[in-house]
Amino acid sequence: MSTATSTPTGTGKQPGSRQATHKHSQPSKRGRVQQRWLPWAFLAPTIVGMGIFTLLPIVASVALAFFRWDIISAPTFVGFDNFAEVVQDPTVRVSFLNTIVFVIVAVALQLGLALGLAIMVQEKLPAWLRVFFRSAFFFPLILSAASVSIFMRYLFNEQFGVVNWLLSLVGVPAVPWLTTPGGSAAVVILVYVWQNFGFSFLLFVGGLASIPVETYEAASIDGATGWRKHFYVTLPLLSPTTLVASVMAIINALQVFDQPYVLTRGGPGDSTRTAVMVIFESAFQRLEFGQASAIGVILTLIIMAITAAQFRLSKRFVFYQ
Amino acid sequence: MPGTNGALRQFTRRTALTALGAGIVGATAASWPRLTGTDIPGRGDNSLSIAIMGTAADAAARQKVIDAFAKVHPEIKVKVQAIQAVDWKDFFTKILTMVAAGTPPDVVYVATEGAQLFAEKLAHPLDEYLRRDAEHMKEYFEDVHPSLVEAFMYKGSLFQLPIDWNAANMYYNTAAFQQAGLERPADDWTHLDFRSTLAAMKKAKPQDFTPYYWTNRLFGGVVPWLYANETSFLKETKSTGGEWLWDGFYGNDPSRSLRSGGYQWLEPNADDPRVFESFDYLRGLVKDGLGVRPEEGGGSALIGLFASNRIGTTPAGGYWVQGLHEAGMTEDGFDVQFFPKWRGQRHQFGTAGYAIMKTAKDKDAAWEWVKFSSSLEAMRIVFPTPNTTPARRSMVNEQLYAGTGPRNWKVFYDTLDRFPTTGPIPAPPQQAAVETALMKNVSLAVSGDERQLKQALESMQRDLELALRRQP
Repeated sequence: MSTATSTPTGTGKQPGSRQATHKHSQPSKRGRVQQRWLPWAFLAPTIVGMGIFTLLPIVASVALAFFRWDIISAPTFVGFDNFAEVVQDPTVRVSFLNTIVFVIVAVALQLGLALGLAIMVQEKLPAWLRVFFRSAFFFPLILSAASVSIFMRYLFNEQFGVVNWLLSLVGVPAVPWLTTPGGSAAVVILVYVWQNFGFSFLLFVGGLASIPVETYEAASIDGATGWRKHFYVTLPLLSPTTLVASVMAIINALQVFDQPYVLTRGGPGDSTRTAVMVIFESAFQRLEFGQASAIGVILTLIIMAITAAQFRLSKRFVFYQ
Repeated sequence: MPGTNGALRQFTRRTALTALGAGIVGATAASWPRLTGTDIPGRGDNSLSIAIMGTAADAAARQKVIDAFAKVHPEIKVKVQAIQAVDWKDFFTKILTMVAAGTPPDVVYVATEGAQLFAEKLAHPLDEYLRRDAEHMKEYFEDVHPSLVEAFMYKGSLFQLPIDWNAANMYYNTAAFQQAGLERPADDWTHLDFRSTLAAMKKAKPQDFTPYYWTNRLFGGVVPWLYANETSFLKETKSTGGEWLWDGFYGNDPSRSLRSGGYQWLEPNADDPRVFESFDYLRGLVKDGLGVRPEEGGGSALIGLFASNRIGTTPAGGYWVQGLHEAGMTEDGFDVQFFPKWRGQRHQFGTAGYAIMKTAKDKDAAWEWVKFSSSLEAMRIVFPTPNTTPARRSMVNEQLYAGTGPRNWKVFYDTLDRFPTTGPIPAPPQQAAVETALMKNVSLAVSGDERQLKQALESMQRDLELALRRQP
C-alpha cells in the first residue's frame, strides 16, 4: 500500500531529485569530502561558542560546588560540604521558599493578565489599535530591569512616592510598600509582572491568531457563545502556546534577581530574598564561590525537575489540532 | 541593473568570502588591545596602576594630581582606573575579580568598609616606608587626627594613610526648625531633646514632611545610635601593637593612651540590652510617625528631598555639603550639629586612603604615590569643594565652606577633636556578610511591636555569629 509520501514505484525517491541524480552520477572525491565536512564547518563556530561559553562554565560551576574558594586563595576540595552547609542555612531555605511562592503568584498573574489582554486585544480592538497595544505591552520588556526597579523605588516610596500620593487623594493612608514584608513582596511581584507579561502576551496573540475561524464558526453553530466559546475552544486550542508560555515564565521567574535586589535588597528581613540573590551574595559579597555554585546546582536541578514535570503533564492537558 | 554591470559580475562569491575574511581579520586586529585587555590602564607597561571607585570622569579629574606627581617623580608613570560600583562592597568585589583574573591594580583606594579585608588578604603594610620616611611624614601626622589613622591599623601594622573621611553628624533644615519655633540645637543635645525636636517639627508641618529620615546601611543607619548609647552590634576590642607608630608620631597627643594596634570585631553583640534599648528608641520614632522605616540605599537620593524642605533632619557626613549646595540650598538653608548624646556622644566615622597591593610590581613607586597623595599639595588639588571631609585638619577651614555653608562647619573636625573615642564603621574582614546580617534585620526590628523587635535582634545575633565564623 502506498503512502502519501511514497512514489508510485514505491522507491521513495522523487524523479529528478538530487537523490535520483546521484544514483547515476557519483560525486567527486572533493565533493564527498565537502558533503561530509561542510556541515561541520558551518556548525563549528556555534559548537565552539557553546562549548566555551555554555558547556565549560556549567562543568566548571558544578565542579566548583565541591571546592571552597574565595578567589584569592587556592581552592580546596571539600566534597559535599558546601551542599550540606547550604541546605542547613536558614537564609538559603527561606530564599528558596520565597522563590517558589514568587513563581506561583507571579506566573499565575503574568499568564492570566497576558491571556486576558491578548483575547481582548485580538477580539475587541480594530487592527491598527492591536499593533499599538502589542508594542505597548511588549515595551517594558526591552527596558533594563535595574532601571525600572530604581524608578519604581521612587514611585513606591512611603513618604514621597507617587503611588501613595495618588492613594491619599482618595483618602487611603500611606502604605509602607518597601519597608514591610507584605508590601515589599507585593511591589516586587507587581513590578516583575508588569515588566514581563508582554512576552507571554505576544505568545498568546500569536496562538490566538493561529486558531482557525471555522472552529469558532462551528462552535457558534453548535450554540457556544461568550465565555463558553473561550472555555471550550480557545483554551484547549491555545494549550500548546500556554505550555510554552508557562515553561518560559516559570524558568524566568525561578531566576528572578534584578527587581528584588534593586527594590528591596531582599528585605525587610529575608522577605524578598530569592535563590539567585543568595547565589550572588554568597559568591560576590561573601566570596564563597563553592557555596554559591552548590546553590546554583540545586536551583538548576529544581528548574529541570519542574520543566520535566510540565512536559510530562502536558501530555494530558495539551491538545494539538 | 544587476547582472549587466561588469564590476558586479566580477564580484564573485569567492571574492565576497575573501573580502569577508579580510574584514574579520582586520576587525580582530583593530580590536586586539580590547580583546586581550591590553588597553586597560597600567596593563602591559610599567606604569603604576591605581584603582579608584568612580566614573571615567573621576579618573580624568585626578589628572591634575597625576601631573603634579609627574613633576616630583617623572620616572614613575601613573595610570588611574576608575571602577564604577554601587557601593564600596561592590567595588571591592570588582577588585577581587581583577585579582582572580591575574590583573590586579598596584594601588587601590579603600574605605573603612574594606580596610581589614585588604589588610588581611591583599594589602602590603606601610610600616617599613613610614619608618624610613618618618621625618618627611611627621607633618602629615601632625595634621591628621589619630582616630583616623587607628582605623587603618590592623594587628599592629598600618595599611593606609587617611585621605578623606566623614562622621555621621546630624543635618537639619533651618526653615523647618524656624517654622517649629526651634533654636539651633545645643552641642550636647540628647536623644530625648532630639525626639522633642522631631515632635515639634511634625506638629508645625504635619503634611508632606518627614521629621527624621534615615537609611538602612552600615554608615549613618542604626550604628550612630548604638555608638551614642555606648554599645554596638559587634563586640569591639583592640589588638596590641602599633607602639612604633603612636610613639613615633603621636607621642604627645592627649589621646595617646587610647591608641592600639587596630580594632577587632570578633563576636556579635546584638543581644546586648543597650542594643535593644537603642533599637526600641528608633522603633518609637517610627511608631509615632517622627521617623521613617529605613529603606535600603545611600543618602544621595535624599538630597533633593532635603533641599526642597521635605525632610527635617538626617544623619550624614561632610560629603553632603556640596550636594546640597548644587541642589540649590543656601548657606542658611541648612546646618549641622553633633549626633545627639545618649550615655555618651561617641560618633561613627568612615575614612578612606590608598592601599598598596601585595602584588604591586613596584612597591617603592607605589609608596611614593601614597606619600604624595597625602601631601597638602595633592589634597588641595583633589578636594577643591566640600564633597567630603579632608583628613587634614588644616584643610577643614572657613575657605572650604565659603559660599556653601554650613555655618557650623567646625562640627566636622570637632567630632574627632572633642570626642576622641569616636570610632570607625564596624568592618571586620567579613564586612560584606556582617553588613548583610545587620541590614536585613534592622527594618524588621524597628517596624513592628516589641516581640518583633526581640525576634529581629535574635535573628541578627544568629546571622552575625554565622558571618563572623566564615573566613573572609
